[in-house]
Amino acid sequence: MENSNSYSPYSSSSVDSTKPSPSESSVNLSLSLTFPSTSSQRETSQDWPPIKPRLRDTLKSLRLRQRGYNTALFVKVYMEGVPIGRKLDLSTFSGYKSLLENLSHMFDTSVICGTRDSKNHVLTYQDKDGDWMMVGDIPWDMFLETVRRLKITRPERC
Amino acid sequence: MDLRLPSKVLEHILSFVDSNEDRNSVSLVCKSWFETERRTRKRVIVRNCYAVTPEAVARRFPEMRSLTLKGKPHFADYNLVPDGWGGYAWPWIEAMAEKCPSLEELRLKRMVVTDECLEKIAASFKDFKVLVLTSCEGFSTDGLAAIAVACSNLRELELRECIVEDLGGDWLSYFPETLTSLVSLDFSCLDSEVKLSDLERLVSRSPNLKSLKLNRAVSLDALGSLLRLAPQLVELGTGSFSDKLDQEAVSKLSQAFSEMKELKSLSGLWDVLPEYIPLLYSVCPGLTSLNLSYATVQMPDLLELLTRCSNLQKLWVMDLIEDKGLEVVASSCKELRELRVFPSGAEGLNDTNVAMTEQGLVSVSEGCPNLESVLYFCVQFTNAAMVTIARNRPNLKCFRLCVMEPFAPDHKTQKPLDEGFKAIVERCKDLQRLSVSGLLTDKAFEYIGTHGKKLRMLSIAFAGDSDLMLHHLLSGCESLNKLEIRDCPFGDTALVANAAKLETMRSLWMSSCCVSFGACKLLSQKMPKLNVEVIDEHPLETRPDSSPVERIYIYRTLAGPRLDMPEFVWTIQKNPEIGVSHLAIK
Repeated sequence: MENSNSYSPYSSSSVDSTKPSPSESSVNLSLSLTFPSTSSQRETSQDWPPIKPRLRDTLKSLRLRQRGYNTALFVKVYMEGVPIGRKLDLSTFSGYKSLLENLSHMFDTSVICGTRDSKNHVLTYQDKDGDWMMVGDIPWDMFLETVRRLKITRPERC
Repeated sequence: MDLRLPSKVLEHILSFVDSNEDRNSVSLVCKSWFETERRTRKRVIVRNCYAVTPEAVARRFPEMRSLTLKGKPHFADYNLVPDGWGGYAWPWIEAMAEKCPSLEELRLKRMVVTDECLEKIAASFKDFKVLVLTSCEGFSTDGLAAIAVACSNLRELELRECIVEDLGGDWLSYFPETLTSLVSLDFSCLDSEVKLSDLERLVSRSPNLKSLKLNRAVSLDALGSLLRLAPQLVELGTGSFSDKLDQEAVSKLSQAFSEMKELKSLSGLWDVLPEYIPLLYSVCPGLTSLNLSYATVQMPDLLELLTRCSNLQKLWVMDLIEDKGLEVVASSCKELRELRVFPSGAEGLNDTNVAMTEQGLVSVSEGCPNLESVLYFCVQFTNAAMVTIARNRPNLKCFRLCVMEPFAPDHKTQKPLDEGFKAIVERCKDLQRLSVSGLLTDKAFEYIGTHGKKLRMLSIAFAGDSDLMLHHLLSGCESLNKLEIRDCPFGDTALVANAAKLETMRSLWMSSCCVSFGACKLLSQKMPKLNVEVIDEHPLETRPDSSPVERIYIYRTLAGPRLDMPEFVWTIQKNPEIGVSHLAIK
């Protein structure tokens, strides 16, 4: 396949039209042409099929409910500085608000999301990539799919 | 004898000319007509916010009362445009605040709107009436509070599928008791619960309220009391439809629905439980628009609902409707004009639970003579089905088929879907919008180029074999205005050879194709009236001409290169090594 600046005439393609995904190229196309050809790739793809974010979220929660019917989602929760942790079933909560209420009750202190404060305990989580993130940025259902453990940070650390 | 039409007379005549297309023609006749037209235009529409500067627009149309703006390209809806690309509303709002303080209506689509923007609107436009934000982001519920508290003549506040930082439901309580002018309120995209008593009071003091779209957090119980306060509603978006109600509450709700004699449009219905569907029966015969895309209700329960909707013109539904359900639509909804079927199992092929195939769409094309707009997500399709659909419905204006498995051939013959799309473009002579998918060769695009003469917008994904494809489209489709392409194996040759065509179009988007950096540079040099933007989140350290770009967005513009480009957007005016241009946003 040509990839030069000259006005060269088109070569009529001799690609077998019944064969999917073009593989011939004179240029390293590792950035592009990663067609979601396997179903696992498609499952995590955020841009195919072309549906809007709200519908995508709705479908995710639909799948979660179908799959996770009656199965709990226990994660470990640690308060920074406290060696013994707790276990929490996230599937019992309807959203961030009820999670925070419950944690605040469980650890007997006010726990909040998001804003870094010198006064409050802030909730963070470890996602499936192993990264520690602020709780509250992504929709609840997406959070449920990616959360692995929770950590309540001490005020001055944030 | 002075044969010129006195400007007062022309002004009077122009007051009857509504369509901007006609007004654009009027303004081309002569200088005095241009002047009279521009001084009298009240409704201004700018379909690419970077095609002109806000100052130029404000200068030309000083009497502007209504401004509509579109920002990001369409593929931004599907996460293909990185965050921070642009589309900022602030420069426009700032310019209008200064030059057109009588502005009453603002409609923004795919733009970044901040709380500062909303506060500026609230503070600057004394007679502000209408705010419609579609697929916008960047603001929080605090900004909404600012609008609510200050705009004393507010008529419409609609948030359609926006991404809002939800800090709580307090914003609704900021509508003052003196506000009685509300006609339309849509907060369906918000998550937080609003105070029911404040919502009820707002509804009861809004006698002109015609459209109310609630968010999911509004319970079924609350819905009942709201409907009793506003039986005159023409459009209703319910909240969650799944709480458990006792018998008395159910019959009260049923009564409330039956009082709604004017209802034409129904949406929301999140998680609707099958046992509540009969509640809707009384309003069905009057409905012209039904949006079930969040109603995860399965087949038998839908049937009774659909058979009662004999006046339906617009139906949005999930593929849970199956072929059976679409057959019922075909026989019951004879007035249907627009059908959208969304995927319920975005996993695609592995989901064999859903029995919806190409046959469903074929049935509707047979049974609904007025069908002109289709969006259909399906796992696979056949050429024969498309040929039949085209034969049945030559009046189609919009045909968007999304075969969800990339490169899926005709599942009966294993051939490419070329012949199917050929039938569509050949028969449907008024086709203006087309989305293609499945296994396609260059032949398909030759057909589209040959027959798609009225085609204005075309979307392509995972298709074609070579540059010929793009060449067919750019040289053949005379009316082409917007072209968006992803994951197709070509770029340079056709793009550069058809460069002049790009000036006749609003925009071209290509992502994950084979467009080289060198071609982008060449195009930029050749076509100064175009903005050629290379959008690369992971650019190479040094960019050789042969290196492929991740995304390219080309649009015609009078405004020249924009000043608010982020680091990852390159244009020829920018030195890629230096990087960031200063961001003119708030």
